[in-house]
Amino acid sequence: MRERAHSTIAEGTLAPSELARFEALVLPHLDAAYTLARYLMDNDDDAQDVAQEALLRALKYFDGFRGDDARAWVLAIVRNACHTWQRTGRSHPVAVEFNEELHSGAVGDEHPEAALLRAADREAVRGAVAALPLEFREVIILREVQGLSYKEIGEIAEIPVGTVMSRLSRARRRLARALSSVARERS
Amino acid sequence: MTCKDFEAQLDAYIDNELPPAVVGEMTEHLGACAACARSHERQLALRRALTQHAPALQAPPGLRASIRQAIRAQIRPAATPRLPEWRWLAAAAVLVGVVAGTWRVATTRARAEALTDALLASHVRSLLGSHLLDVASSDQHTVKPWFNGKLDYSPSVYDLAGRGYPLLGGRLDYVANGAVAALVYGRRQHVISVFLWPAERGPTAGPATVTRQGYHMLHWIAPDYAYWVVSDLGSTELREFTQLLQRADSAAARPDGR
Repeated sequence: MRERAHSTIAEGTLAPSELARFEALVLPHLDAAYTLARYLMDNDDDAQDVAQEALLRALKYFDGFRGDDARAWVLAIVRNACHTWQRTGRSHPVAVEFNEELHSGAVGDEHPEAALLRAADREAVRGAVAALPLEFREVIILREVQGLSYKEIGEIAEIPVGTVMSRLSRARRRLARALSSVARERS
Repeated sequence: MTCKDFEAQLDAYIDNELPPAVVGEMTEHLGACAACARSHERQLALRRALTQHAPALQAPPGLRASIRQAIRAQIRPAATPRLPEWRWLAAAAVLVGVVAGTWRVATTRARAEALTDALLASHVRSLLGSHLLDVASSDQHTVKPWFNGKLDYSPSVYDLAGRGYPLLGGRLDYVANGAVAALVYGRRQHVISVFLWPAERGPTAGPATVTRQGYHMLHWIAPDYAYWVVSDLGSTELREFTQLLQRADSAAARPDGR
């Protein structure tokens, strides 16, 4: 069992000027941090815990932050924290496993119609996103929800840009198929 | 360009990640091939579904407050000296005479900062759920008498519900060397803490407005009372609220009670 986030730094070690810098540079990205955590974790409690842990870890390593993109830096910490949580089994694993066999038709042989996707509702979309394996889900969220470039996503997820592209592509194919099949079942 | 090439680069195309020359070829192919146009349309429909149903989220206020509190706990204690030390510094400043000018500025600033720290901490603590209200009532005639015997003054409590700032209640807090009244008003989902204490008690030093960690703090001295108002409400609305308080105060002070 890991320690709770707020106990990982010695109390009272931060210079006020550093705190001000942290508040100005990092805290504005709290919403983005929470958004990523919420989509990567399976429930809101875990998402809030992991977001708080990540922000405090960011504070701990803030000395070493020299870049100009605080958002990407924070999101990378959040992403790693989510992976750590999932790996150490602190949260419940994703229940729905995507059936690659069943859903992997050859490219181009059958396009679910756009109309089916347009009919997708909130529950279907969230369900389909939640059912994506973590490595696909994170690229989709970073791209579609947070609007990051392939380069930024590659840095955050620690993968080459080519891998970002192929994961995004596969993730979208899975989402499109999942949403279309939900829509077909309902109609 | 073949359909296979188009398909392979479709994601990068809709993500604006292709070099301009390739974008031109893609667009050209899109106009000429109905099948690829359909798959392009499908991608855009998926994007719309995601944008609509999987939006960016806002961190819950409780999480925000809890992170802020945890972060503030990391500040080196020297940054927030305890009151007796400032007093000592203030006394020393007087003794030093000529140098006193600069000293006084520094100590006044340190004192003002410590005061705003304490007020902000009280407000944030109250939001964390442990101690928002000691007396919960929208009735000023319930809230005001509640402070009887708990304080050596009787805070002014107003009914501003008609102006969109309903009274939520009050609590007793310990700030700036003594027990103070904190009146709590609401505005939509925002909470406003109004601290007031007799002006002669001090310390009343402080800038008229402070913005810290997304909270606005406004300060003024009414004839008898030092006021501090703390909220995450937008500064325009918070200013409107303080004007309502000030108007209510001066109306109450007039002999005819109007």
